Amino acid sequence: MSIVQADHVTRTFRVPAGPVEAVRDVSMSVAPGDYVAITGPSGCGKSTLLQLVGCVDVATSGTITFEGRDVRALTEAERGRIRLRRIGLVFQRFFLLPMLTAWENIELPQAEAGVPKAERRLRTRALLDYVELSHRADHFPSQLSGGEMQRVAVARALANRPALLLADEPTGELDEATGEHVAALFDRVNRDGTAIVLVTHNPALAARARTHLAMKSGMLQPA
Amino acid sequence: MSGFALARRTAVRYPARTCLAVLGVAVIAALNFDMLLLSRGLLLSFADMLGGAGYDVRVMGGGGVPAIRFPIHDAAALADAIRRLPQVGDVARVRLDQVSAAGPRSGPEQAVTLIGASLDAAHPIWTITAGRSLPVDEQGAPPSVVLGRSLAAALGAEPGMLVRLRAGDRDGRSLLPAIACRVVGVADFSLESARALTAAVSLDTFQAVQGGGASDEADLVLVASAPEVGPDAATAAVARLRPGLHVYSNAALVEQFNRNGFAYFRQMSLVLSTTTATFTCLLVAVLLTVSVNQRLGQIAALRAIGISRQHVAAMLLWESALLVGVGGAVALPIGGVLARALDDILRRMPNLPERLHFFVFEPRAVVLHAALLAATAVVAAAYPIWLAVRLPIAPTLRREVVS
Repeated sequence: MSIVQADHVTRTFRVPAGPVEAVRDVSMSVAPGDYVAITGPSGCGKSTLLQLVGCVDVATSGTITFEGRDVRALTEAERGRIRLRRIGLVFQRFFLLPMLTAWENIELPQAEAGVPKAERRLRTRALLDYVELSHRADHFPSQLSGGEMQRVAVARALANRPALLLADEPTGELDEATGEHVAALFDRVNRDGTAIVLVTHNPALAARARTHLAMKSGMLQPA
Repeated sequence: MSGFALARRTAVRYPARTCLAVLGVAVIAALNFDMLLLSRGLLLSFADMLGGAGYDVRVMGGGGVPAIRFPIHDAAALADAIRRLPQVGDVARVRLDQVSAAGPRSGPEQAVTLIGASLDAAHPIWTITAGRSLPVDEQGAPPSVVLGRSLAAALGAEPGMLVRLRAGDRDGRSLLPAIACRVVGVADFSLESARALTAAVSLDTFQAVQGGGASDEADLVLVASAPEVGPDAATAAVARLRPGLHVYSNAALVEQFNRNGFAYFRQMSLVLSTTTATFTCLLVAVLLTVSVNQRLGQIAALRAIGISRQHVAAMLLWESALLVGVGGAVALPIGGVLARALDDILRRMPNLPERLHFFVFEPRAVVLHAALLAATAVVAAAYPIWLAVRLPIAPTLRREVVS
């Protein structure tokens, strides 16, 4: 059974100049263990598709089911709970909370999900080890490099052991060497069983995925 | 991590913004606190002043307060009857008149308020600051007088010296001879202003200054209720003795003043405290709104990773509560100092009783201050919270990336 299934999904935005179809009749499926990269020019609808798959946004038409549940039939609170427990999100700009340390940023979604304190401590320590930042646990984001911040963001995304990790331009703000380090981390996450869908302009990163899809004018096709 | 912990971390993370907000709230909330002190200050002070001498019931011949008093006839018999009531602990008869006084050294006569008080009362209606209170006058010796501090200074008189009291004020044309009295003490009169010239003598001496005769009148009879029954029962019992008299408990007088005399202060403080609370609310609302607008991407990302609307709302509510709470706490000492300074200025008005204050502290004012600030914090946070919880996640994240 797939984690997420999109059937003939379209997302239309109303703008003063008229409706714009950011995603047009897209169908795709992500199964456990998949590693999918979506590439395409800026403005082709990659991030919008990622938000639809990640239950952040809702399709204008078509159907998205997440673990068998029709996303459009869910309330915002229910979609929030799915994002919290079943999906990990990694952003281009990291979006770590600046007033929290690396440790606390990773602990935050666990606390929201009601993970007991002792369990949170164990998981957070393991995740910091996993992203090789144990020595930076008490550092604030402003004290970390871009690559370190993105690794903390990946650890935060993995905190509630999601079935699916979604990353929107995860290396977009990083130099090549740091981007390579983060890409290796995604490989490891996938090898350890988490399905990944990432959107990128970075061909080297896209090449590491087992499935590479290209997007053009809101439509998806094999690369 | 709770909303409070996130709010606390945010406050620490942006110290300049936090300090400015706390300082702004503190200054405005100090004014608000002062308005609360002012709203009941005169009333509390008036009640304290009335009760200061230990009497809680007043008997008058007629009129209200502070209307012209009508003398009470057969005052001695009335005082005896009142004293015999089981609801009563103590009784004092008081007479008041304007006389002129001359000191031991040559100098102009002073117009003086002369108080004649019965000496059988347990509580004198003045507080001795030098010498002693009025003794029973001895046969053949000059009668005793207690001078108010200002009068003693004006006459250059001290305990042991002789002063002369004469009926009528200093411009009057009284033919009555002056009575030489020996100063036994200097005192503060709680109902008189610091600059008022006041002297107190026994009822017999008061009568002698007025030219003698067998008058048995009083302008005022003061009654202290028995502690176990309280002033209401005493008031009712005294009123039954002689139905034509006007009998008021201190509480009734305070209530009467509250309705008539102090309404201006209450209205003024209501207007000013509403204004200052509005300013506090606007200040915090603007700061929080700016802060939320600066953190839209962060808030959208928080919501995207599954942090609930309630959690985000709680964080912002706590941010508001922290700014207002800390500012409100800092406001208390600032407000206290400011109230004292304002009180000193207002008390320079002429003819105010020495013990009357405009700004009076009471625990209720702190409770009200806290309640008002809590409400302000909630109202101030309402719009930023509305902004944050209604934030469309996907478009905001898109805008953040594009920007």
